[in-house]
Amino acid sequence: MTSQTQSTRISKAVSNYADALWSRREFAWYMALGNLRSRNASTALGLMWWVINPLLMGLVYWLVFGVILDVSRDLSYLLSGIFVFYYTSTAITSGANSIIANTKMLVNLQFPRLIMPITAVMETAVGFLVSIPVLYLIIGPLFGYWPGWQFLVLFPIAFVIQSIFNLGLASLTARLAVPFRDILNLVPHLLRIWLYLSPILYSADLYDEKLPEGWAFIANLNPMVPILALYRSALLGYPFEPTDLVLSALWALVVAGLAISAFVRFEGKMARYL
Amino acid sequence: MTQPAISIKDVSVTFRPLADRNPTLRRSVGTFRHREKQEIVALDDVSLDIYKGEAFGIIGRNGAGKSTLLKVMAKTLKPNTGTVNVYGKTSTLLSLGLGMKTELSGRRNVYLGGLAAGLRKSEIDERFDSIVDYADLGEAIERPVKTYSSGMFSRLAFSVAMAIRPNILLLDEVLAVGDESFREKSMETMRQLLDDAGTIVFVSHALPRVEEFCDRAAYFEAGRIRAIGPSSEVVDVYRSTV
Repeated sequence: MTSQTQSTRISKAVSNYADALWSRREFAWYMALGNLRSRNASTALGLMWWVINPLLMGLVYWLVFGVILDVSRDLSYLLSGIFVFYYTSTAITSGANSIIANTKMLVNLQFPRLIMPITAVMETAVGFLVSIPVLYLIIGPLFGYWPGWQFLVLFPIAFVIQSIFNLGLASLTARLAVPFRDILNLVPHLLRIWLYLSPILYSADLYDEKLPEGWAFIANLNPMVPILALYRSALLGYPFEPTDLVLSALWALVVAGLAISAFVRFEGKMARYL
Repeated sequence: MTQPAISIKDVSVTFRPLADRNPTLRRSVGTFRHREKQEIVALDDVSLDIYKGEAFGIIGRNGAGKSTLLKVMAKTLKPNTGTVNVYGKTSTLLSLGLGMKTELSGRRNVYLGGLAAGLRKSEIDERFDSIVDYADLGEAIERPVKTYSSGMFSRLAFSVAMAIRPNILLLDEVLAVGDESFREKSMETMRQLLDDAGTIVFVSHALPRVEEFCDRAAYFEAGRIRAIGPSSEVVDVYRSTV
């Protein structure tokens, strides 16, 4: 087979899969809404937990790193970072569960399995979007940060990039968790390590100050570094660096591309493990 | 009865044994070769045609490959080898209430279940009233499904599953849905489906039901077809081996 026919075959398979996904878009959206509503119905505070969780997390870290250890920049820097990171971490956690928590549906109904991690990301995206006004209600009166033109332009871009990135990671953990349930135990620890390695509790300048020569470069390879920088330009009006945009977009596309293709290639075998 | 609705050719499915279904990282790295040797065969080179307008029963002991066969027909499990062709819209009733959330109202669950089964939202809008009528739920449709009795839930789930208007219905032993009058109604619906050249594949341990309801049947043993033919004959073969 020539490489040209091979590549047309692959592009045909990709467009078929995309069509199948698109035709089930209502299903994905309703499932995401259903999950949010059913959680809403079973807890007193419902959707507010999407805000309360990162807020409590942020306040605890503020107490430790801001007040006691005094290494944090300020509460607005810390809270914005936590809220953004919380979106990625919840997307990964519910992505990891998305396949194995729905085995009954998956062994009985035929649909593109990528719907499951997509739904997980949609659900967490709604939570994230709900949390942003609350973030401003805290950092607005306290520090005078209000959404301006930079927010209007950059926030949608940052949100789309992070959502693609999250979908990649959610599909990756969903795929890995099917044969290796151990992943579910590992994920919370990896997320905590990632949080500590990212410039959330401390400023990114700390890499250059504290790390030995050459290590700062490696620390900056963390995809959260450009994503957080982009969000801080959007949310807090920090100076916008085009490199942050380019690097975040590159990370998102590479991670999502590799993870989604690994997920889709595994789809046929999935039912064997469920 | 000449046109096939489901055509299965030389299909084999192998699984890893139950104990190894959830391999840990360590085990899967350490005992790779070992596990491969332990593969079990759920379906062993099965060929089978099921025709339009017929009710087909599948019987056999636990672990004979019946459920695996249904999953292959539902296309949720890709066989290791062989081809599966399904001509028509399939609805699976291997398990009731797929995609539903019991905390939410019956109304919302009609949408969740219908979308999960492959309907569009506009189609559910159109068919909503007839779904609720058929399930005979009345005002209860606005209540959370967790407040339903199990009979009410089964009726709702069955009604949603039939709303996709399938040509092919894959049934596990869920025919005992609801009370006597609803059971009559659901049997009536299934006969209607058969009359319209639909196809029903029915997996059951209830031999009298298979004899009564199915035209043909296949008796599976260890992943192979041991006997196939008119349901009463196949049931007799099965009875003689028990």
